[in-house]
Amino acid sequence: MNYALHLLIYFNLYAILALSLNLVVGYCGLLTLAHAGYYALGAYTYALLAQVAGLGFVPAAIGGMVVPAVLSLAVSLPAWRFKGDFFVMISLAVQAFLFSVLYNWFNAGAPVGSWSNLTNGPFGISGIPRPTILGYQFNTIGSMAALSLGLLALSSLVFWRLKGSPWGRLLKAMRDDELAARGLGKNTRLAKVQAFAIACAFAGLAGVIYASYVSYIDPSSASLDESILMLSMLLVGGAGNFRGPLVGAAVLLAIPEILRFAAIPDAVAANLRLLIYGLLLVVMMHARPQGLAGEYRVR
Amino acid sequence: MQILVNGLIQGLLIAVLALGFMSVYLPTRVFFVGLAGVYTVSPFLAWQVRSAGGPWWLALVLAGLVSIALSLACELLNHRRLDRRGASSGAHLISSLGIFIVVVQVVAMIWGNETKVLRTGIDSIYRMGGVTLTRSQVVGGMVSLVCLLGYYLWLRFSNLGLRFRALADNPVQLALYGYNTDRLRLIAFGISGLLAGISGILMAYDVGFDPHAGLHAVLLAIVAVIVGGRNSFLAPILGGVLLGVLRAEVVWYLSARWQEAATFLLVVVVLFLRPQGLLGSRGRLEADT
Repeated sequence: MNYALHLLIYFNLYAILALSLNLVVGYCGLLTLAHAGYYALGAYTYALLAQVAGLGFVPAAIGGMVVPAVLSLAVSLPAWRFKGDFFVMISLAVQAFLFSVLYNWFNAGAPVGSWSNLTNGPFGISGIPRPTILGYQFNTIGSMAALSLGLLALSSLVFWRLKGSPWGRLLKAMRDDELAARGLGKNTRLAKVQAFAIACAFAGLAGVIYASYVSYIDPSSASLDESILMLSMLLVGGAGNFRGPLVGAAVLLAIPEILRFAAIPDAVAANLRLLIYGLLLVVMMHARPQGLAGEYRVR
Repeated sequence: MQILVNGLIQGLLIAVLALGFMSVYLPTRVFFVGLAGVYTVSPFLAWQVRSAGGPWWLALVLAGLVSIALSLACELLNHRRLDRRGASSGAHLISSLGIFIVVVQVVAMIWGNETKVLRTGIDSIYRMGGVTLTRSQVVGGMVSLVCLLGYYLWLRFSNLGLRFRALADNPVQLALYGYNTDRLRLIAFGISGLLAGISGILMAYDVGFDPHAGLHAVLLAIVAVIVGGRNSFLAPILGGVLLGVLRAEVVWYLSARWQEAATFLLVVVVLFLRPQGLLGSRGRLEADT
């Protein structure tokens, strides 16, 4: 039972990530590899605010959404000038930058969370408090699952509403023909900044769930492998509509669990998992470029 | 001076890889991230031959041949088929990324995740004027210079080089004139794989190697391309050298941990001041990618 609940929490978390990534990849047509950086940024912000500054869950979680949203300018400003392949590489540079900041902001002498040792470097931050809302503490796995499910429902609602809104249609128009959208007097630069800010804020929210559930965070959450996992979820499931990311998150989370039951030795299990992700990407691009349940083919 | 020379040599190594990337990107418009896989494989093969007691020349020849073969396989099995069906550049990029992941994981499963070194013992040192160089630096600098110079002469003066530039300029028209563009594409991928293999071995000879270094190296190469300019074969060399010098200076004046930050900052500055790159010329809006 605990195993199922644990999987449910992970599904909720990655579903939020895939949905938020979909806003950028599926609706703006901008492939980004920096999403894990913002996910980790949200988790770190929450950890520092909740543990060091002693804030409650709600203000700390809001902080964990605002900081990635503001720093999303690092990818949305280059998106003004770059599309396609070069934008992907710039987002990869942002990803490497965020990772190196989280990994290197370290000074062994200073306490965790002080200015010279903000992230505790490669050792990460441990003992992050479990969330407490209005005096109720979410310290069992069941309550965490309920909380994460609630947050997934909330984010789904937001993305569902955005998808149908005039703003969502503007994003699609911009994706299909940016010059035409600009010719109609739409401010596409502003729309890109907004889309990235919203997507990164929700990636931060997923990070908050992760940090408060595992109560430990280290820079590996910001690694490129995480970004690739998120992108694979979206591309395997399918971008550009609502159900694609959910399908993708479910499929890619199921793969390691199947491997677990197939009694693969631990030494190669992690490598094998990534290998399957890579193969899936290649095969999907040949066999079904729009993903299992998606509408939009990556350009 | 010492730092400048260190950076220069580092930059030449980046430039070789950037040129490898460019020799696929310009003629075929394929964003060849799989190059990182080639870069990863070649030092492992050389290491395997060396640790089995084989001589240096065998190690180098084998690594070079496998690099070319791997790169050609990417084209034959993946990019050509995608191209025939008119797939988008994003599909090329993602499948190429997938190939890279598969190659890296296979390498990690065979040879393990830990860092290895290609040279044995301590590097010997040469002093020239006020500059001290290790042997691997001298070898690296020399080989890269030879590669870059040879590439330039080939591109500028040989008949094949001319066709190559024509392919980069307008592939459809070249095909209409009756040239075999498929074969030219294969040559492009072969050269690219060879350059990536050379760059991988040189870097491994200098600082050691592990399965996960490839994408970072290719990222640096692409930064060099962005800085130098995206429309010429030679601009990435300037970008690479500039990037190498900058990274070396940052290590000296600040700390090695801010190298990535400085690289990123350079990209941002170039993007805002000269988005077409230092040597680039500005295209029309819809041609800008």
